[in-house]
Amino acid sequence: MKWKRAVALALVTALTMTSMLGCSNAKKETSKTQKVSATESAKTQSKGNGGKVKQFTSFFAVPGSEINDDNEVQQKIAELTGAKVKETWLTGQTAQEAVGTLIAGGEYPDFIDGGDGMTQLYQAGALVQLDKYLDKYPNIKNFFSKEKWDKLRQADGHIYWIPQFNNSYGKSVETVHNDEAFWIQTRVLKWAGYPKITTLDQYFDLIEKYNAANPKMADGTKNIPYTILCDDWRYFCLENAPLFLDGYANDGSCIVDPTTKKAIDYNTTPTAKLYFQKLNTEFQKGVVDPESFTQKYDEYISKLSTGRVLGMVDQYWDFSSKVNDALKTQKLNEQGCNYVPLPITMKEGVQNHWHTSGDTLNVASGLAVTKSCKDIDGALKFVNDLLGKNVETLRNWGIKDADYTVDSKGLFSRTEDMRVKAADTNYKASHLCSYSYFPNWGGMSQDGINASKPDLQPDEFYASLPSDVQECFKAYNCKTYVDMIGTNEIPGSWYPIYSFVSTMTTATPGGKAWTKMGELKHEYLPKVVMASNFDSAWNDYMKVYDGCDPKSFLSEVQKEVDKRIATAQKSEASTATSTEKSTEAK
Amino acid sequence: MAANISIVKQKKRYTWKEIKRQKVLLFWAAVFIIYGFIFCYLPLFGWLMAFEDYKPMNGFFHSKFVGLDKFKELFMDDGFIQVIRNTLAMGVINLITTFVMAIVFAILLNEVKSKSGKKAVQTISYLPHFLSWIIVAGILHDALSGTGIVNEVLVHFHMLKEPLNFFAYPKYFWWIVAFANVWKETGWNAIIYLAAITSIDTTLYEAAAIDGAGRWGRIRHITLPGIRPTIMILLLMNVGNVLNAGFEVQYLLGNGLVQSVSQTIDIYVLKWGISQSDYSLGTAAGIFKSVVSIILIVIANQIAKRAGEEHLF
Repeated sequence: MKWKRAVALALVTALTMTSMLGCSNAKKETSKTQKVSATESAKTQSKGNGGKVKQFTSFFAVPGSEINDDNEVQQKIAELTGAKVKETWLTGQTAQEAVGTLIAGGEYPDFIDGGDGMTQLYQAGALVQLDKYLDKYPNIKNFFSKEKWDKLRQADGHIYWIPQFNNSYGKSVETVHNDEAFWIQTRVLKWAGYPKITTLDQYFDLIEKYNAANPKMADGTKNIPYTILCDDWRYFCLENAPLFLDGYANDGSCIVDPTTKKAIDYNTTPTAKLYFQKLNTEFQKGVVDPESFTQKYDEYISKLSTGRVLGMVDQYWDFSSKVNDALKTQKLNEQGCNYVPLPITMKEGVQNHWHTSGDTLNVASGLAVTKSCKDIDGALKFVNDLLGKNVETLRNWGIKDADYTVDSKGLFSRTEDMRVKAADTNYKASHLCSYSYFPNWGGMSQDGINASKPDLQPDEFYASLPSDVQECFKAYNCKTYVDMIGTNEIPGSWYPIYSFVSTMTTATPGGKAWTKMGELKHEYLPKVVMASNFDSAWNDYMKVYDGCDPKSFLSEVQKEVDKRIATAQKSEASTATSTEKSTEAK
Repeated sequence: MAANISIVKQKKRYTWKEIKRQKVLLFWAAVFIIYGFIFCYLPLFGWLMAFEDYKPMNGFFHSKFVGLDKFKELFMDDGFIQVIRNTLAMGVINLITTFVMAIVFAILLNEVKSKSGKKAVQTISYLPHFLSWIIVAGILHDALSGTGIVNEVLVHFHMLKEPLNFFAYPKYFWWIVAFANVWKETGWNAIIYLAAITSIDTTLYEAAAIDGAGRWGRIRHITLPGIRPTIMILLLMNVGNVLNAGFEVQYLLGNGLVQSVSQTIDIYVLKWGISQSDYSLGTAAGIFKSVVSIILIVIANQIAKRAGEEHLF
């Protein structure tokens, strides 16, 4: 027995020792090969032929779907650029939770977009200063004007991240209203003969009437007239409509009046009260889905995907990609289950600002390289390559003749078969790779002929619309989603102020107030909507709301608004004088 | 006293020879002590954060020392008082329900005569233990939704006029959590009691049966006293865990309407400590939790000691 034990002990020790040694050896080896491969590929790159592909990791604090490891377009991009990035996305957490956990751990992926947690990353010293690299990478440098790059400088004067979106090459092209709106299914509009709907009362009136006449779908499923998503950070679907109903643009967390330049709290306006009162009335009538305030995001999406929900407030990006594809595969466009936006305001005659045109620079977040990245130049070269002409087409359109065809003039289009494939989840995972959270041009393509993306190409966009939406657009004499609700100029140089609010933390009194306000609204707004006595519930809500000290929040926002306006005026003045000087010189 | 003396005597007998004889045991003990040191004691240096205004950029050594300010801030916050209440309430409810259910279940199962039936029930009943909370929460959310099985059944039998949205009312939340815990853990927790029951001398049962004790009598006078030491030890260990009332269930099942009763200390730490990157505040809340747990376990142990029951230390 004794020797047996001794042997066993020896074996176990040997095993643990070898496994430990094995680990450390393997580590050394991989780091060696990495170094070698890095230099090698740098060498081979100059010859224009991909040797070993560099591997980078990335994390984006937004929900997204991972693609397969052997994705075909990703492989092609890797051949062209010599690098490949494994993308990971947010799952079941908020952005700030995910980022907070990363900071606590102290190890980061090579690339990161922290979303709402971007400032935390900056404050934790996790990000690499990009400004000193910019000159080496022309595609990145030309992505923004000097003025815009300056806007991205943090308090210490350096640039840490590159916002990826809303940046048009050539002229700006807009087809989709990728923002918040009151959405409605086309069948409701069609049933009523495509009426003009502009107020909240008309909107609910129409939904009620339609539902009374057609309570069920073709297969017997009961309609849900109106649902509200209220899950965690997505509760904007409930809470910030009063801002738009008063005709203001999406400053997000408060109203900034374009004439007085004053920050106004939209939670306490008369419109807010009227809006929640309306929801309360509709809830009592059974028009508002009784599960609204307890449903999770997944449940909400699956509800929309069945085509049962007649209308809701949401951001287009929050539901469109999942719901549109699901409706398409079930052929529910035949029943008119697709959503179009309506230009709703509280009162008649208020100019709505649901949509703003032009490139809105969201300075709050973007793509950053972290301190954990061992090959910063390699990483930035990859970003630079992604913005190049060839890779751009691969990212946005796919592979020629497989995903799009080119006519004699060089104009891209897709066949119906290609459109169906592009909407198929499996195909997307195995074939398409858009590196969607890396900087990407909107507007026109760099070939000067095509739009940068299929859904921006006018003919392609229209042809790929579901039949019911096409019909609806025709009836309203519209060509795009944007036409449905009209478009507006950006209200001012402070816009959008949410890009400041999302950087606030509990370190300041205003930030603390903002967090408390959010916490409170999560609880009280559903209560207010469900209350049998609206007025007393509203008064209760207002009483506790005051206790959160919203004034300190507003005053901090006001300071930022003033600061942004002042900065913009200064840079305008300087460009004005410089042009004067240059004309004088001539 | 006699026990004490014998311990003292034993101590004196430790010699090199004795140590050599036990070297294998000592080796493994050392491995686990190192393990415990690395994973349980080393992280305690992080507690420093609670007394600093910790900024990740500055690290432990260059952050500003603020003493007990973070604790003050914590206890000035009504939200924190609320999460303590929720944690304690759910902890106690969970402790009592899961504890009682496991014992009752083990005894009932022990009384089953059919061997194969007993084995089947035991296997099925402990399977939920291996499901992760996200799955359990998903099942619960579906089952209790407006069109879920619970509402369908209640409406069908006219116990409800229309479907009830269980998750919209704070009064149900603690019980839903307790139910989830019971469903998930009863079978698993019962295993240890079943093992304790099998170690009871079967001749006792025979003797009792001859003396005319029925089933109920045998459970009361033999089974229960037989597993009493196990019950006491487990109770003491669980009392220390009362503040670990959970994180996943409450996080996954909670929503705005019930947040005033659903949030536990762990969720508070995540929300204010990690999301807002106020790591100091989160650590302070964590320390508070640990200290209270230690106090609870010491008090419970003393009570058990005084009552002459089995105790931990």
